[in-house]
Amino acid sequence: MKLRFVLPLLVFFIIVFFLWRGLHLHPEQIPSPLIDKLAPTFELTILSDAKKKTSEKDLFGHVTLVNVWATWCYACAMEHEFLVDLAKNQGVLIYGLDYKDDPSAALNWLHEKGDPYYIVASDINGDAAIDWGVYGTPETFLLDKNEVIRYKQLGPLTPEIWETTFKPLIQQLQDEP
Amino acid sequence: MIPELGHFAIILALCFALIQGVVPLCVRASQSTTNNPFATVSQTAAIGQFLFLGFAMLCLIASFLVNDMSVVYVQEHSHQLLPFIYRVGAAWGGHEGSLLLWCLILSGWTVSFIIMNHAGNISRHVIMLLGFISAGFIVFLFFTSDPFLRVFPTAPVVGDDLTPVLQDPGLIFHPPMLYMGYVGFAIAFAFAISALITGKWEKAWAEALRPWVILPWSFLSCGIVLGSWWAYRELGWGGWWFWDPVENASLLPWLSATALIHALIVSEKRQVFKGWTILLAIVTFTLSLLGTFLVRSGILVSVHTFANDPTRGIFLLGYLAVIIGGAFTFYSVRIKNFYQAPNFELFSRETFLLINTVVMLTAVATICLGTLYPIILDALNLEKISVGEPYFNTVFLPIMLPILLLMGFAPHVNWGKQSFSVLWKKLHLALITSFLLSVILPWVFGFSFHWISCLGIFFAIWIILATGQYALQLLRARKKIEIQHSAMIIGHIGIAILALGITLNKTYSEERQVKIQTGETVTLAGYHFTLSHILKTRNENYESTTAYFNVWKTTHHEQILQADQRVYTSHEQSLSKPGILANPWRDLYLALGSPLPNGGWSIRLYYKPFVRWIWFGGLMLLIGGLLSLLHYRKRGEQ
Repeated sequence: MKLRFVLPLLVFFIIVFFLWRGLHLHPEQIPSPLIDKLAPTFELTILSDAKKKTSEKDLFGHVTLVNVWATWCYACAMEHEFLVDLAKNQGVLIYGLDYKDDPSAALNWLHEKGDPYYIVASDINGDAAIDWGVYGTPETFLLDKNEVIRYKQLGPLTPEIWETTFKPLIQQLQDEP
Repeated sequence: MIPELGHFAIILALCFALIQGVVPLCVRASQSTTNNPFATVSQTAAIGQFLFLGFAMLCLIASFLVNDMSVVYVQEHSHQLLPFIYRVGAAWGGHEGSLLLWCLILSGWTVSFIIMNHAGNISRHVIMLLGFISAGFIVFLFFTSDPFLRVFPTAPVVGDDLTPVLQDPGLIFHPPMLYMGYVGFAIAFAFAISALITGKWEKAWAEALRPWVILPWSFLSCGIVLGSWWAYRELGWGGWWFWDPVENASLLPWLSATALIHALIVSEKRQVFKGWTILLAIVTFTLSLLGTFLVRSGILVSVHTFANDPTRGIFLLGYLAVIIGGAFTFYSVRIKNFYQAPNFELFSRETFLLINTVVMLTAVATICLGTLYPIILDALNLEKISVGEPYFNTVFLPIMLPILLLMGFAPHVNWGKQSFSVLWKKLHLALITSFLLSVILPWVFGFSFHWISCLGIFFAIWIILATGQYALQLLRARKKIEIQHSAMIIGHIGIAILALGITLNKTYSEERQVKIQTGETVTLAGYHFTLSHILKTRNENYESTTAYFNVWKTTHHEQILQADQRVYTSHEQSLSKPGILANPWRDLYLALGSPLPNGGWSIRLYYKPFVRWIWFGGLMLLIGGLLSLLHYRKRGEQ
């Protein structure tokens, strides 16, 4: 049996091997280019008070989560309960970015389901979200005390992800100057 | 009741598929086929399988028409407000339904093969193998992707609706057309394996196989054209080809089937390239299955995003490994029997056709590499990248260009041996004329000089002139052109027009992104667009904001262009439906962006010259392919 007769078989199985490995990968989880960069600047109105403005300066000085959400997003509803638990019982600071949403609907939602956020910025046109590289809701950014993005979570935040990834990282960030 | 009937129909179809595959294995032992009552069992089973899959499809469509929301698949892809016509298309708008369509079309091909083939004793093996291929897919359908699953007792009342971009007439025709192509190559595959089983490759088989390659190839060409046209109208980016993984998945089998068609001619007429033909047949179906895998497993991120269920991916991959791995193993053991010493010289039609197949396979390899490269890197934990248009345009063009040059020569080259000086004498005029025209024409029509467009014009005119000269030569010698030849001529000229459309469109397209207020005018490529008014309307299942533009080049000829921005009631998702003013020479394409706070709109304007030629060229391939089948019908009558 000559090599050239077996060649198609070999090529085929190399491809199958990579496809098999590929099945266990997560191509949609692209590492954000913003990791270890300063949070992008923005200026938006505050959801609860349209006359007041909020900007990235409100993120300074503490380890903060920036959570991008919307009332029309099904997965956001799933993670919301956990966010409320984090804010109430574990004292985590969560900054909300209400993405392309109707402000009155968003206020209703927070009234009904509880409000885990210390500030909610209302990004009606989605301009700030573009600068932050958001391409789906929910997304959660973890920022250190100096306003640098240290981690980004795509999709809903679950207790497992919190325990394995966020918690150790936050402890480490708290100890940093 | 209806979904349960469909459910049972799938089970029965699976039984029939197994009978179709297993019975011939048992009959083999007894050898005599003429008076054996079991000989036709396999064929009857194939017909039964087709009828039951057809029935299952009707059940699914019926569940959609009555919007039976207790069926999970219907609930996920339909909505009370979804227009009737799209409910039919929605039956194959998702994973489960499109897989049922896959199985139905495969058994449809099997039945038409049984009714119309003239392959003789090899067809027994072919039908058997098709039975096994089909059984595998029905098992996949039934156990991982059952479209008839129900939710009891409380069913959600409201459907999730069909994704807005799929609510388009294109959806009704595009997937069936594409599948007719994809799946049809199963016959060529089964043929190749049967040849490996019997250890020989008869001239009559090559002849009998040809329509079963050309027909799916024609459908695939048409499916690709429909897909491109759909993407152009629906996605709102003004492009007609995006090198999206799913598009590549349909292009790959098309390229290798093109090679197969040409290799088959040689193996039929000259009794060489038999092993090569068998390999190409296996590769073509492999690429069809690979395409199905890439689309259905969710392994790649693409505009065609489907639910990602790992068990489906693993099943499909296992199936691929068994069927194709088995085929290639068999190939590596048996192929040495098919070797034949070459009986042609270097400069001959055989060589030209061989180059064609090699170039096509090279193109397949490069596109395959580009498509799978992100997976390979990611699997090796190197980095996450995406391979896009720049790679594909850079590698694809240089590979395909030589083919266009050879395409003009090939019909004039003799089998076995050709003298170069005779060929040169015959064709140098056409070659020089097309070279001169490629320089003069852009100048005459006032286009700016660009080497890509010159190259495109040169190759297109060269192919048309050389092929036309061949047609004249046939007319002069034989007073008529046979169907086979005219099919080739139409197909090759289709490619010329396609190449011309692609290159001119690429070089002379213009686009602008502007902000516009009512009453304002913007200009692109000599056309003026005035936003006259904006209208909000309510439709059956969406609200639309329509912008009306007056478009004019000279003041006394004004046209109205309307572009939509739709918000579908069931999704909070908006969809931009571009407005297009088309004529054979150019498209004016306008997509609404987003409204501005001060009442204006951001819009994208495109000037797309010769874009229709691309699809017209593609349709000529379909026409050529269908025409060549008449040849076989005539033969059947004789």
